[in-house]
Amino acid sequence: MLDISQLRCLEALLDTIIPPDDYAGAVEAGVGDYLLRQLDGGDLAELLPTYQRWLSNLEAEARADVGKSFAELNEAERVSLLKRVEKGEVATDWSLEPAPFFRQVVEHCAEGYYSDPDNGGNRNGIGWQMIGYGARG
Amino acid sequence: MTDYDAIVVGSGAGGGVAAAVLAEAGKSVLLLERGRSLSFEAVGRDHLRNQRMPVYGHNAGPDIEGNPRTLDPASFPIPVGRELGNLRLLRPHEPGYQNNAACVGSGTRVYAGQAWRFMPKDFRMASEYGVPEGSSLADWPISYDDLAPYYEKVEWEIGICGDHRSMTHLPAYEKPYPMPALPLPHKSGVHKAGLDALGWHAMRVPRLINSVPYNERPACIHCQQCVGFACPVEAKNGSHNTTVPRALKSGFCTLRTEVMARRLACSEGGRVTGVSFVDADSQELTCSADVVVLSCGAVETARLLLNSATSREPTGIGNAGDQVGRHLQGHYYSGAVGLFPDVMWDGVGPGCSIATSQFNHGNDGIIGGGFLGDEDIVTPVTLWKRHYPPDAPRWGLEAKRYMRQNFRRISDVIGPTQEIPSPDARVSINPAVKDRYGLPVAHLSGSAHQETVRAAAFMHERAKEWLWASGAVKVWGQAPPRYLSGGQHQAGTCRMGEDPASSVVDPFCRVHSQDNLFIADGSPHVTNGGFNPVETIMALAWRTAEHIVRDW
Ligand SMILES: Cc1cc2nc3c(=O)[nH]c(=O)nc-3n(C[C@H](O)[C@H](O)[C@H](O)COP(=O)(O)OP(=O)(O)OC[C@H]3O[C@@H](n4cnc5c(N)ncnc54)[C@H](O)[C@@H]3O)c2cc1C
Ligand code: SF4
Repeated sequence: MLDISQLRCLEALLDTIIPPDDYAGAVEAGVGDYLLRQLDGGDLAELLPTYQRWLSNLEAEARADVGKSFAELNEAERVSLLKRVEKGEVATDWSLEPAPFFRQVVEHCAEGYYSDPDNGGNRNGIGWQMIGYGARG
Repeated sequence: MTDYDAIVVGSGAGGGVAAAVLAEAGKSVLLLERGRSLSFEAVGRDHLRNQRMPVYGHNAGPDIEGNPRTLDPASFPIPVGRELGNLRLLRPHEPGYQNNAACVGSGTRVYAGQAWRFMPKDFRMASEYGVPEGSSLADWPISYDDLAPYYEKVEWEIGICGDHRSMTHLPAYEKPYPMPALPLPHKSGVHKAGLDALGWHAMRVPRLINSVPYNERPACIHCQQCVGFACPVEAKNGSHNTTVPRALKSGFCTLRTEVMARRLACSEGGRVTGVSFVDADSQELTCSADVVVLSCGAVETARLLLNSATSREPTGIGNAGDQVGRHLQGHYYSGAVGLFPDVMWDGVGPGCSIATSQFNHGNDGIIGGGFLGDEDIVTPVTLWKRHYPPDAPRWGLEAKRYMRQNFRRISDVIGPTQEIPSPDARVSINPAVKDRYGLPVAHLSGSAHQETVRAAAFMHERAKEWLWASGAVKVWGQAPPRYLSGGQHQAGTCRMGEDPASSVVDPFCRVHSQDNLFIADGSPHVTNGGFNPVETIMALAWRTAEHIVRDW
């Protein structure tokens, strides 16, 4: 699957896409579990190599930019880096288009956070509690 | 001696009614269904794999593997499925496949149960509007009055709630609905005020749902997962809990599931004598019957006829006029989404309760139109994927806060736009691609008529107008592009008519070329109204089955 540094990079990425505030961030809400289940023989298995490539490009971009691994950046640094990635304005030589796959990762992250907990994410229905789905009145 | 008096293929909306009416008349019926009987648990509540939001799969069939179709890439605005030579190869949950469902009850197992009568004008579209170039628009050979008694039967015997007094776009009802309309959720009240402010007609949405206990099943408990899912208390009335059990209870019906009809069995002279099918153990069997009723849904009924070619009918049964599979239509869906200053949410399902038929007809320069209604509760991930404003942030704290602040403030109105049929929108068979049973798959080609696209764009503007009138502070959405429609509302592929040269079935839905072959599903619909089709499919099936019994 993913090696330990890729995993740390992925978790930092997910927590930048849905950061913790007074409600759990993506990782605490189980989005990582959702995604790993999908990548490990699930519906997104075919995307595993793309995830690996994209994450290593992101890692290289972070090192070139701030001299640290993506997981070690503070939140503001991660956000500003991803804003550049989102626009395709990257400083290093990526082996795939940076922006389109980022949009896919955002989508997968939202699937984990907002779909039913049986899919592995949205732990204890935290995503639903936050927005008020399930509530009455 | 035949094995059965009648064989009905398909246990969905039309097939369930046909089996019940025939069996209760004492005819021995074999009911064949390619899907399974699904429990509530088997349907599940997976928000990424259901008939409403089939991101990675679905929950009411057919199985993802072994049931492909092919599509002409020109029929869809984006590449879908996988490339196969110059075609696209599609799995059942992928866009463009035109799936409804495959299980006992088919779509009715997981539908929203919106239960609409078509309007009198919907049966005579060509006379009302003329026939635009490139279209096969035609009148039905029967009228609203022919179907009205059967609409009433469906309302009372299958169970529909509603308020007949609000249906002022229709001729007066002989009898009210057997159950009162569902209570209005808060947001429907807001949208009703919007309609009143505009001076547009407002009606309660009739639904195949028990608003009070009915037919020995309980009332709706207003859960938040109605459309796309099964009902936890069986308050939603579908074939699986109404017509199919009625057929079985009569003692005259045998239901066989996981059985795929391969072709119609025919005599040497080309007369239909029964059905050949494969069962779950891959055993091939043929059963004979005096009457065969096809209720496979508009795509699969056409495919079965085309796959049943004989030397008497070498291009497929009923296809002498080259009509089988043409005029495929469903509904274009036009709507818009709004953000409201106050919370619209009260969590009271199912949700879609108020609608307007202000624009079904009489729109300057437009052929037909459709109704617009508010919508069933959408799941959070559906809101994210379909209803989220295109300019709102998608990641970071801002996106999280946007969902948190606005999930309960976003509300949409939407509705089916009547399609103007095109003969090129078509189901044929692709002998080069076989399904798991070794049968040539359905091939889909052509596109909706340009007049359909125009009408849908007009309806999109009306949806926006309504949302503003309801008090929205922001409104978004797009009119649908041109593509091949069908899907859950598929119809039209074996159209009804007097003339065998331009239709497949006669006004009682008997295939012109055969004495004993009938169709009871959406295929005979000449046009599909500006309303969800299932009540019309059930009513028409009822009329057809009664005719079969009367004529026996
Ligand atoms: C999520 C969802 C929501 C919907 N909401 C509404 C709504 O609110 N209002 C409304 O009017 N409509 C709604 N519909 C659509 C409605 O379900 C269909 O219009 C209706 O079921 C079509 O009826 P039919 O008889 O034409 O075919 P179906 O009901 O599709 O029945 C066809 C059956 O035949 C079986 N079959 C096909 N080929 C074979 C074969 N060769 N051998 C054996 N069996 C075969 C299929 O498996 C299937 O079960 C909804 C559908 C879905 C999926
Ligand atoms: S909203 Fe009512 S009818 Fe629909 S599934 Fe829930 S309980 Fe059943």
